[in-house]
Amino acid sequence: MIYRIRHITKYNYSRAVSLCYNQAHLLPRDTDYQSCRKTQINITPKPAYMSQREDYFGNNYFYFSLQKSHKKLVIDVTTEIDTLPDRSSLNLDLGNSCLQARQLMEDANTPEIKEAREYLLDSPMIKASKGLQEYAQEVFDDNLPLLSAVRALTSKIFKEFKYDPASTTVATPLDEVLENKHGVCQDFAHLAIGCLRSLGFPARYVSGYLETLPPPGEVKLVGADASHAWFAVFSPGEGWFEFDPTNDNIPADQHITTAWGRDYSDVTPMRGVIFDGGNSQELSVSVDVQRIPD
Amino acid sequence: MRASSVTGSSSVQMEQSQVSGQEPEINWSSPPAGHFNEAYEDLNKPRSHWEYLLESINSLGFSGLEDRHKKASRILRDDGATYNLSVDPLSAKTWELDPIPMLIPSDDWVEIESGLIERTDLLNLILKDLYGPRDLIRQSIIPPEIIYGHPGFLRQCQGITVPGEHQLTMHAADMVRGPDGKIVIIGDRTQAPSGAGYALENRTVLSRVMPSIFRDSQVHRLALFFQTLRNTLSSLATETEDPQIVILTPGAYSETYFEHTYLSNYLGYPLVQGSDLTVRDGQVWLKSLNGLSKVDVILRRVDDIYCDPVELKSDSFLGIPGLVEVIRAGNVVVSNPIGSGILETPALLKYLPQISQHFFGRELTLPSVDTWWCGDKNDLAYVKANLDRLIIKPAMRQVDNPSVYGHLLTAAKKAEVLARIEKTPHLYVAQSYISPSYLPSWQDNQISSRPSIFRSFTVSNQANSQSTYSVMAGGLTRVGLSDSDTVVTNQAGSQSKDTWILASEPEKQVSLIEEHSGLKDLAHESNLPSRVVENLFWLGRYAERAESTLRLIRTIFMQLNGIEPLPEKCKKLLLQALSTQTNCLPGFMDKNLLENPDQELINIILDGNRPGSIKSSLLALLTSSEEVKEMLSADTHRIINDLRDHLYELERSFISGLPSAPEESLDPLVTTLLALSGLSHESMLRGVGWKFQEIGRRTERTLQTARLLQSLLTEALSGSQQQLILESVLLSVEALITFRRRYRAHTDVAHGLELLMLDATNPRSIFYQLERLKNHYMELPQANISLPSLSPGEKLLVKSLNDIQLADLERIAKSDPDANSRNLLNDLLDELTAQVEEFSTVLSDQYFDHQSGPQQLSSTQGVAFL
Repeated sequence: MIYRIRHITKYNYSRAVSLCYNQAHLLPRDTDYQSCRKTQINITPKPAYMSQREDYFGNNYFYFSLQKSHKKLVIDVTTEIDTLPDRSSLNLDLGNSCLQARQLMEDANTPEIKEAREYLLDSPMIKASKGLQEYAQEVFDDNLPLLSAVRALTSKIFKEFKYDPASTTVATPLDEVLENKHGVCQDFAHLAIGCLRSLGFPARYVSGYLETLPPPGEVKLVGADASHAWFAVFSPGEGWFEFDPTNDNIPADQHITTAWGRDYSDVTPMRGVIFDGGNSQELSVSVDVQRIPD
Repeated sequence: MRASSVTGSSSVQMEQSQVSGQEPEINWSSPPAGHFNEAYEDLNKPRSHWEYLLESINSLGFSGLEDRHKKASRILRDDGATYNLSVDPLSAKTWELDPIPMLIPSDDWVEIESGLIERTDLLNLILKDLYGPRDLIRQSIIPPEIIYGHPGFLRQCQGITVPGEHQLTMHAADMVRGPDGKIVIIGDRTQAPSGAGYALENRTVLSRVMPSIFRDSQVHRLALFFQTLRNTLSSLATETEDPQIVILTPGAYSETYFEHTYLSNYLGYPLVQGSDLTVRDGQVWLKSLNGLSKVDVILRRVDDIYCDPVELKSDSFLGIPGLVEVIRAGNVVVSNPIGSGILETPALLKYLPQISQHFFGRELTLPSVDTWWCGDKNDLAYVKANLDRLIIKPAMRQVDNPSVYGHLLTAAKKAEVLARIEKTPHLYVAQSYISPSYLPSWQDNQISSRPSIFRSFTVSNQANSQSTYSVMAGGLTRVGLSDSDTVVTNQAGSQSKDTWILASEPEKQVSLIEEHSGLKDLAHESNLPSRVVENLFWLGRYAERAESTLRLIRTIFMQLNGIEPLPEKCKKLLLQALSTQTNCLPGFMDKNLLENPDQELINIILDGNRPGSIKSSLLALLTSSEEVKEMLSADTHRIINDLRDHLYELERSFISGLPSAPEESLDPLVTTLLALSGLSHESMLRGVGWKFQEIGRRTERTLQTARLLQSLLTEALSGSQQQLILESVLLSVEALITFRRRYRAHTDVAHGLELLMLDATNPRSIFYQLERLKNHYMELPQANISLPSLSPGEKLLVKSLNDIQLADLERIAKSDPDANSRNLLNDLLDELTAQVEEFSTVLSDQYFDHQSGPQQLSSTQGVAFL
């Protein structure tokens, strides 16, 4: 499937910003399941400095700075991406059992497994805890295949948590999400990752997009799509496998990956520092994920 | 020296060369059992390399030694050598230097030196690997957790490299000599190693107070180390022959700020704070008086994560937003590279032998302290079983999580510590405790035996095509302040020692100062950060403000306590003038205070929280002087120290109310402020820095004089009362004698105004100030851009000068018969004050940096997420 994704980020400042430095994780990376065909970045006003690089995790990002006074900043990114068909045929009953997976992680006999141990540790926004472990425990059993247990965890979160964009912010701690049982995709991804790490399985955060289809008979609204987030678990010797707890499914060709990291803080879409600009910033984002014919 | 053992005790008695015999008997005990004695083989026999020094100390005698110690302390204080200047600038802690140095013989040193070079080589390779391929992890040489779990492992720095072979420019290693006499490394400092500057200051001071002992001991020089550092830093800028190198400091309240200022002067690099630099067009620039000037190399003393709020710690105000990207683009080099803090992790010490095998095929010659990493199961079991003999430390170096000594724990505490470790074992290490060697140390007027720790420094030497590391031939020795041998740290209180590496033959002298002093001044002068000139400006203003307040209050004390009782009217006028002048309002506008003025007078002198008080002006002056410490001469430091002392004494003399003849208690401060101003005139180059200080002074003096005249002479009084007030004005600006002599019979207000406003020969007249201001201002960089009209600043000064010159003094000295007040004078001074205040604003907009602090961009989360 080929998609054109347009992601527009607008900042309005209450007073003029004299200088700004920004780092944007808004460019999809190539993966085993997708390849990026075209990228176009339009920034207004025009940046004085810009660079495009690969980060520690292999994600693409761009960096730019503005030196002229401005009250408005628009970052308009369009990418075309080719996603490969379906991964959902994956057989969840094959592969490592939970016990085996844990054992292999401990032995860490290959460089790949050694490196995956990074994703067992606490990260800036996710701390393993007894609470998380207890929450997930019931769907894990030493003899169960790891992937089917993770799939069960995904469903459990989907069923027990309420999707509610008003309930959390970027700063809501994981313990609070667990207690109040609501949040958005980012919280659910963090939650699943926290559960898996607490149980001894490496997990990482994936950011990206999801194609949404309008209800039958209706026209799709422009700008109605949004950024999305899910997670991946590492099964030693077998690789990384993705799951989407917000939609209770396994990401396939409608999921487009932008970047991955230990948690949201590694792949924040826009981060930066501004000088002046007054006390308030208004931020708006619009995203379109559009299917285009070959 | 002859030493004899005293029966029944393990102390050594020193022979005294002093004839007096009245001095207390001085003993020094030998170290507790199980410690190496640096100076003595046994009780009677000094080690051969100590013989000469001990003999010399013996012939100095203890009063001689104390004499040298005092002299050294004085020099250190005059140099402004502080450690950990706390928020209260009155309690600066002077760096403590022991007059007895640490000695290391040349054959011993050869081993230490080669061991250190090898170690720095290894750390350099580790750093390259960790931010590159990470083979050490992939090939199972170190466990992933000690790196991946370390907050100091900065993923943002992946792939960043410094030009040349060496990633690490400098490395400091702490070591102790164990009971067997062998050196063991107990820790490494790599992100911004401190201490090299203190080592140099120790050397400079000790060689001054013990010149002949130093000369005859054939001590290796330190200058070569700094020479190498300079060459290497220059070589890091590959694009230019004449790089601009700066030292980045967190600021005056950083623990080791003195060292930053000291190195800045010694190496000849501008000392800058984060806000003095800015990133534009993918480069780093210094915001100097001459505009932006490109920076090529930054020698940083700011810790890793504080260096850039864009990509690292987002709430840091100490860094430079955008710095990491400039480093990545290769347009600036930061040394040591950001991210090098990871090498300080104690957990790494356990794996150094294996890492050394991996890179070199052999183990290190200088061993590290035995270290167990609790993330390893076997290690954890060992730690649990042997807690009594171990020190528990966080695996990641953190200030807020101190070391725990197993043998000092109660059973309950022990269980608590073990529980903590078991919860997150990979965050802890345990180390065996090495009993440090003991050194003779001069403390509390006697020689005592004290535990010691030694820090040495290596520096990359890549000026020529070959890259090697060189070791400073010396270092920083610290000794504990008590017999207790728990670790010696600066925070816990310690005394430092110069460290003498004894050469087998005398060596040639190298000093940076001699070769570069001329160049250094020029470089400094043209690239003064805006912050520095701003502080010099305020230094001038506060000094002048404090002085004029002191003079006025002194005059008031004299009039209040004069032989004749002070008429109520005059008392009110004088006291209210003081409130207006200091802006400590309502103050004496309040009737009750007028009747009992003592407490308010004391407050105006000593209430540091009240802007305008003498103490608050002096504290502001001290703060400004800290900010420009590297610009001030040793003599200036001495005067600043005197100010601090006098202020302290003043507080004490006022402790139980107004003392008798209170005006006299203010004299030392006035004299010291005059010395400061005199020194600035007599020994500062007439460069930009001086001009700004001078502009500050002249601006403040104009304002102070104008306000004084306004508040005391606007109201017209009758005969003798008018005379008394006029004399008070003249007295407080030190013009009374001149006035009487010059005008004899005509001592009226008009003549007073002539002398204080218009007289071009009176260095305190307003006209004199304005003329100076105009001259200095026109000479500032960028001031003389040839515009057809005058610049806004010039206009204000020219207008003020004209206003004064065109004023009809006879007329304005006359009072308005209806109101008994000199309205014309009042209006003129109002106008003048407004213009000069505006001039100050114009100057500040033109030359000082007014950028507000950075803030974070809001994050997109929560706005458009599924």
